Amino acid sequence: MILRVFVYIVVALMVAPIIVTLPVALTSAGIIRFPPQGLSLQWFIGIFQDQLLMAAAWRSFLLATLAAGAAVVISIPCAFAIERSRMPGRTAMETLITSPRTIPQIVLALGLLIWFETLGMAETFFGLVLAHLVVSVPFAFRTVLVSVSGLDRRLEWSSAILGAGPLQTFFRVTAPQIKTGVIAAFIFTFILSFNNVTLALFLSGIGERTLPVEMFQRMYVGGMTPVIPAAAFVLAVVGAVLFVVLDRTIGVFRYLAGGE
Amino acid sequence: MDGTSGLRRVAPLLFIAPVIVLMAAFFALPVADLLSMSFQAKHPEAGAGGFSLVNYAKILGDLWYWQMLGNSLALGFCATLTSLAIGYAVAWRLTHCGGWERTLIALACLLPIFVNVIVGILGWYILMLPFGVIQQALDALGLIHGPLRWLRSFWALVGVLTYEHVPFAVLILAASLQNVPADKIAAARILGASGPRILWTVLLPLSMPGIVASSILVFSLSVSSYLVPILITGPRGQFIPISIYSYAAELLDWNMAGALAFILLVVVVVLTYLFIALSNRLTRRGEWSMV
Repeated sequence: MILRVFVYIVVALMVAPIIVTLPVALTSAGIIRFPPQGLSLQWFIGIFQDQLLMAAAWRSFLLATLAAGAAVVISIPCAFAIERSRMPGRTAMETLITSPRTIPQIVLALGLLIWFETLGMAETFFGLVLAHLVVSVPFAFRTVLVSVSGLDRRLEWSSAILGAGPLQTFFRVTAPQIKTGVIAAFIFTFILSFNNVTLALFLSGIGERTLPVEMFQRMYVGGMTPVIPAAAFVLAVVGAVLFVVLDRTIGVFRYLAGGE
Repeated sequence: MDGTSGLRRVAPLLFIAPVIVLMAAFFALPVADLLSMSFQAKHPEAGAGGFSLVNYAKILGDLWYWQMLGNSLALGFCATLTSLAIGYAVAWRLTHCGGWERTLIALACLLPIFVNVIVGILGWYILMLPFGVIQQALDALGLIHGPLRWLRSFWALVGVLTYEHVPFAVLILAASLQNVPADKIAAARILGASGPRILWTVLLPLSMPGIVASSILVFSLSVSSYLVPILITGPRGQFIPISIYSYAAELLDWNMAGALAFILLVVVVVLTYLFIALSNRLTRRGEWSMV
């Protein structure tokens, strides 16, 4: 009973900071204050009129799509090779692939900042995509690997015995079985990439900010208008809806904790 | 026959190649480059070789940086303890309920993963503002008088870091607690063990791998967090990540930034291994796989 009460207090505390952005954003005044003065939707409409914010949101969307897409595409063959071949140094390769997860991201961000400067691609969008790709691959790889290692090889052998070629077997027998895992890998990698701030903070140019960096800058520099809480609330609602849909369809726990 | 066996040997390498090339070119090399930079002076003396310990000497010889390291470690320890304690209770409840209750708890406690860090920090910032929600509530209850000094404090930082990292603890601990066989707990209960005793002698040892894995993850995320300290305590907060960013982006001294980053990395790695070794000894078990 005490445990239950404690858990519900935790639930309330987890939701409180997200809920509080709503009343603050519903103000008709230009500053952030609680309780809010006046009631108006102007700051929610303001999100769409704020060109810097919209451009940043689009950039974040593009970045997360590219990083998650590329991460999944290169992780699939890699997961098959790691799972099925008896190469020497297999464990070493697996460690290398998943190692970006084990070092603090600020160290990687700093290393890439200097590295891109050396390569002459500092503050480029392409560089940012590569950085996001590096942190996305370990996650996408582990998630895809869970699906690949759960495959029943006998189905593929049957397909081969019945005369199907390797490609036909892959697309008609193997692919349908790992489809859910691959979609889950893409969606969760997209979310992690969209929400990443540290890498973009170090690597994005001044005119090339991602949405979270743009929000960070306005909070940090000061003079933030209630458009930021409004955008925060919208992001929170999208995140919550995404969570419920994913939990009901493919299961959040299975994939997010996958491979631990 | 030779052709196909050759292909069989080469194919896995081709499959792995893109990922390995990516990791080598944009993970291993940049980190190695950073390490070598940290061993160079920003303004090397004329005629002197590239190798120099001047950055490390500057950091390790200055009490200011030791104090900063201490602050960061204290922050990491506190946030790990609170995240683990909260995460354990939530994870236990999650594995023992279903339906809408499970969805509600999971949604609330995993939300920071699905919603940007900035949103959570902004929310806490608004809640803790002077004359903000928490202050008005406590004032109304007559518990405090005058403005709160929480916003810029160490404990506000621990709170927000806990908020951001509880989800990771919940995920790992729930997976771990799910594997604890229910009949062992039932057996302990039948034999007359009390709640705390079951927790201490049955549940904790059986979920140790999850505790170790989540502590390592939460600790590493907490000590290396830049966003939470910079937004909650501001640029004056004495923490390693703030100093790294300041050297890299404001002072443009990448050599010092690199040295600080490696000290942070070494501290995290050493503490991780010490913790794994300690928990192995305590539970007299084999190795736990690392996160």
